[in-house]
Amino acid sequence: MKNNLILYIGILIFGIAAPFVFPAFKVQLSILCVLIVLATTWNIQGGEMGYNSFGNILFYGLGMYLCASVQVGMFFPLAEWTESGGEKTFVHTPAQFFQGMAVGLIVAAVVPTIVAGLIGYSILGLRGHYFAICTLGLGVAAGEISGGIEIIGAGQGFTTPPFPDVGSLDSRGEFFYFLSFFVLVLTFVTVRAIYTTRFKLILNAIRDNEDKAEAMGIETMKYKIIGWMISAFFCGLAGGIMGGLVGYIDSTDVAFDGREMGVFMVLMAILGGKGTLWGPIIGATVFHIFKEGFWTFFLGWQYVALGVLIVVIVIYFPEGIMGWLREKYPERFGEVVDEKDRKAQVELK
Amino acid sequence: MRLNKIILSFVSALVILFSTSVASFAKVVGDKIILGAAISLTGKYSSNGVHTQNGYNMAVDRINSMGGVKVGGKTYKFDIIYYDDESNPKRAAQLAERLISQDGVEFMLGPYSSGLTKAIAPVTEKYGVPMVEANGASRSLFTKGYKYLFAVLAPANLYLDVAIDLAVEKNNGKGVTVAMAFEQDAFSQDVRLGVLDAIKRTGSKKVIDDKLPKELNDMAATLVKVKQMKPDVLVVSGHTKGALTAIRQISEMKVDVPMLAMTHCDAAKLSKQHGKNSQYALCASQWHKTLTYKDDFFKDGMTYDADFTKEFGYAPPYQAAESSAALLVFKDAFERANSFDQKKVRDALAATNMQTFYGNIKFAPGGQNVDKPMVLFQVMCDDAGKCENKVVAPTKWASAKLIHPIPSWSKR
Repeated sequence: MKNNLILYIGILIFGIAAPFVFPAFKVQLSILCVLIVLATTWNIQGGEMGYNSFGNILFYGLGMYLCASVQVGMFFPLAEWTESGGEKTFVHTPAQFFQGMAVGLIVAAVVPTIVAGLIGYSILGLRGHYFAICTLGLGVAAGEISGGIEIIGAGQGFTTPPFPDVGSLDSRGEFFYFLSFFVLVLTFVTVRAIYTTRFKLILNAIRDNEDKAEAMGIETMKYKIIGWMISAFFCGLAGGIMGGLVGYIDSTDVAFDGREMGVFMVLMAILGGKGTLWGPIIGATVFHIFKEGFWTFFLGWQYVALGVLIVVIVIYFPEGIMGWLREKYPERFGEVVDEKDRKAQVELK
Repeated sequence: MRLNKIILSFVSALVILFSTSVASFAKVVGDKIILGAAISLTGKYSSNGVHTQNGYNMAVDRINSMGGVKVGGKTYKFDIIYYDDESNPKRAAQLAERLISQDGVEFMLGPYSSGLTKAIAPVTEKYGVPMVEANGASRSLFTKGYKYLFAVLAPANLYLDVAIDLAVEKNNGKGVTVAMAFEQDAFSQDVRLGVLDAIKRTGSKKVIDDKLPKELNDMAATLVKVKQMKPDVLVVSGHTKGALTAIRQISEMKVDVPMLAMTHCDAAKLSKQHGKNSQYALCASQWHKTLTYKDDFFKDGMTYDADFTKEFGYAPPYQAAESSAALLVFKDAFERANSFDQKKVRDALAATNMQTFYGNIKFAPGGQNVDKPMVLFQVMCDDAGKCENKVVAPTKWASAKLIHPIPSWSKR
């Protein structure tokens, strides 16, 4: 426990110091925080509950549009803002920007949670591949629908409010970094707390044998929906931050970007080891570093390199990095290996 | 918990990795002016991304070999750092941030497409990095009050409104019926707004107004409607893929329409890929080789066309020409500013008033080029099936007469 505390404090200090130690990497670090949040929350379904969802991108995109719309709509007519021929220039004052962002983020978290509850109620009865395919459709549909809604810019895209002139040139990067780091900490603390409760055991029971869990009197549907709602809450927050960070929202390429973000969050959780607390975090970090590296050193071939990485992961680390470590050093994970007993078993064979 | 040790060592490895990977360039190193550009080398805009890159490279080589840029009595050469934005706005914004804060770039060239330019402009604006862009035509780019954005091209709403005017003129000044099909992206939607304005202005009527998905491969549903409604004009815009898809399906389905107006015909190499099937298509273009503009570096359009074809093995679409022009603008501005101070260069850019082989360049306060009209060309083929793009409007540059209405498929 003491060791744990040192670790957490260490990471917290690292997190707070990071933008000052590596000032040029603020944007990458903010994106890393968002990626970790997405991977960690995907892991609630994909890892702990055994429901491989490709639909979490829906909540992410929804959060992005909602946050930006609220931020603009609170102070200016939204339709005029997004209309491309609009000759008027609207400028947020710093107070308006931050107030809008705060309210926007709250909406961006709450609405997707409700949506997750409603959608979950109707589709969480599906299992296995059927659920995965159904959720795959959610993101695609949302992208196409939002691309037709004029008030949020439709195919034109939505330019989010520019960061106001406060402080120095670095303040924008620092603001978004600390915001995303705060959400990351919030996510981690929440998920960690959840994983110590009976709720996690129920999710695991659903994963291991849903029928049996039901037979034991667990209302599996209720827990599945709650699990998904928790994910949606944080995905929405992550989306809201990402929208402000990118500065421009496009329906299929930025918001409901199922092809990239939607797949990456799955990949990161699997790379790190699904069904563990630290797996998605390590997975997202390793993935992000590899990805940024590939982009710099394999220009034009980055997706080929990424493809090779995925193949290597599947072949050599089918259980993810955490799974591999656990197999290699079981005693470090608190598993007691009785050498005598192990040998005896080997000899028996 | 031994696990913590693993994680701790992991975190420290990360720290070491980050701190060793900071490699910084400066804007001007030795005798080099380093420009940054995020280009779509992969993804849906990859073909136009390559046209853009070829255009930039061609101009860099030409300017460097003809004496470079003279600032403060010293001669400098251009160099460009490229990244691949994968045709994705999110990525483009990140790369702009990266070029500026990590690579130390102080002057930028634009990406391909309006959407990506929209994503990059807030970043360059924030850092006060002057950006000359050649491929972001969306009108909304120029109404945001950006001070550091300069576009050498005419805005997107001017692309096809001339076509509607032409159709009305051919209809003895009476309004026409217009069918429209536009891709769901920033550029095409802006072209749509321009066409809508023209429809209103001329008292025409829109009969079909379809939105087409990105990565356009099929527009049969729209064409079925066109066959039924028989509009006077069919307007299609969806980048290169839109142009290719439209011609392919119109010829397959034998859709008869008196006027077909499109964008991106030359970038799609329509006349080469579809030959006679693309005949009579009317295309909006920022530039055509037969225009009579001149400059010292590329001489004129015909010479540029020949030189480009020699170097890259295909005729330059206007996307390449305007990209080359962006470098000429930068060179001119650096020399007039006689400094590498970003503000001074920005002011020099704003005061640009020059002629290049691509056209006259003069920026409005919003950053768009107001001194260069669009041209319309029509694909025309001879009996042997050899097709060429000939300028038909405006009359000042027309090298051929508009063929109207398009003969029906049964008579071709």
